[in-house]
Amino acid sequence: MSAFFKSRSTQLTILVISFLLVFIPYFINIPGLDWFSTKLMTIAAVTNAFTIGIAVYSQYKRSGRFIMERRKGWIYHIYLVLLMIFMIFNGIVFGQHTGGYDWLLKAVVTPLSSVIYGILAFYMASAGARAFRARSPQAALLLIAGLIVLLYQAPLTGSVFPGIEPAATYLTNTFGMSVARMFSISVCIGAIVLGVRMLTGKEVAFLGFGEE
Amino acid sequence: MVEPLFEIPGLFAGRTVGFLLIILIFVLTIYYMSQKKLQYVRRVPALDAIEDAVGRSTEMGKPVICSYGLGGFSYWTIAGLSILGYVAKLCAETDTRLIVPTGGSHDSYIVREAAVDLVRNAYTTAGKAEMFNEEDMPFLSGEQYAYTPAYIGMLVRDKPGTTIMTGSHWSEAMNIAEMSNAVGAITITAGCYTSSMAALACASDYIMLGEEQPAAGAYLSKNPSQLASIRVQDIYKFIAVGMMILGLIAINAGSEIINRLISS
Repeated sequence: MSAFFKSRSTQLTILVISFLLVFIPYFINIPGLDWFSTKLMTIAAVTNAFTIGIAVYSQYKRSGRFIMERRKGWIYHIYLVLLMIFMIFNGIVFGQHTGGYDWLLKAVVTPLSSVIYGILAFYMASAGARAFRARSPQAALLLIAGLIVLLYQAPLTGSVFPGIEPAATYLTNTFGMSVARMFSISVCIGAIVLGVRMLTGKEVAFLGFGEE
Repeated sequence: MVEPLFEIPGLFAGRTVGFLLIILIFVLTIYYMSQKKLQYVRRVPALDAIEDAVGRSTEMGKPVICSYGLGGFSYWTIAGLSILGYVAKLCAETDTRLIVPTGGSHDSYIVREAAVDLVRNAYTTAGKAEMFNEEDMPFLSGEQYAYTPAYIGMLVRDKPGTTIMTGSHWSEAMNIAEMSNAVGAITITAGCYTSSMAALACASDYIMLGEEQPAAGAYLSKNPSQLASIRVQDIYKFIAVGMMILGLIAINAGSEIINRLISS
């Protein structure tokens, strides 16, 4: 039975049926088919939720191996396991919005996440400093455009250099926006063609299969 | 709300032209794939660089780190998995250690299972099943900003020769790419987040833009019928640009015909 579900043809058949069940009701008004589509999406969401359970189990198993074999960093795995137990216990007993779960999320996870997001500015600055060198006319043009937009974003620039704002707005709203829209269009087309390759069984990496 | 130019009974109003365009993409793609004729496809430097970068890691005796993004199953992730499959095949053939950080969001665990199967299959196909080590595919976290420092920690500890970051990486991509650069790895990334793409391009040695990533699976397979499917993307881009120019002319001439057509 397991081999049947793991076979490439079974998975592709399920894929095509699922695709038709979601694709057709979006465009064609067929009463009843919409119900199937909604149910299918609910099934996908429930399956996804189950995988979190598998994730927790795998993480325990992996950490357990680290601890038992005293591998490098095993002490952090004790910390990880204890925290997981703490979060699961508090989440189930006291809910997500009160008690230890909520406190740990607001007092530890959120501030630490903010720190990681905050240091993005320094990484951007170092990448920018390395890349913004006028080695060619194109690079010089990019440098000037980048400088104008950067100065516009900086505090007080508007009052010191009033001319910067219209230039930066023009660059952002014309060149920046048109490029972003062309990016979206090309990605959409690429995604649809990728979808056709998936449905015809040419692209199967997402099912865990390699090349034939 | 623009009034539709026409309606087809049974089809939802406002979705008719979209439906016809999608059907046309399907027909054209299948037609070009059935031709099995090698079409001209422009080079994608970021994808061409993967083989060289893995070779460099092999020569230096350093591992390759390749991630497929931190989202659930989306077209970005699927494209990322195609690239991962190719990288895993190269690493298996050249006896290079491959590290695949997984996780990053609550939806990412379901993808991890497919990724593990994919890498295992690549090693098995290369006849080196014993080289596959699931420990090198750790689940870092279900949270984006816990995943990021864990990924950076791996970069610092393992000092890879190459970092390939594809799929749906968001703001954390910048932190990872810059750190990868700092440890001296060749950094190949794929931009999927418009706001950080320019900065990511600065931090990377090679970057895939726009439809280059969704086309990666076909491009890397070097299979004529798959490569032919990329041709459809170019045809449709011309159609999109043509529609935009026509729309611009029509709007300036006081006509809303193109707006009404695409709203049909």
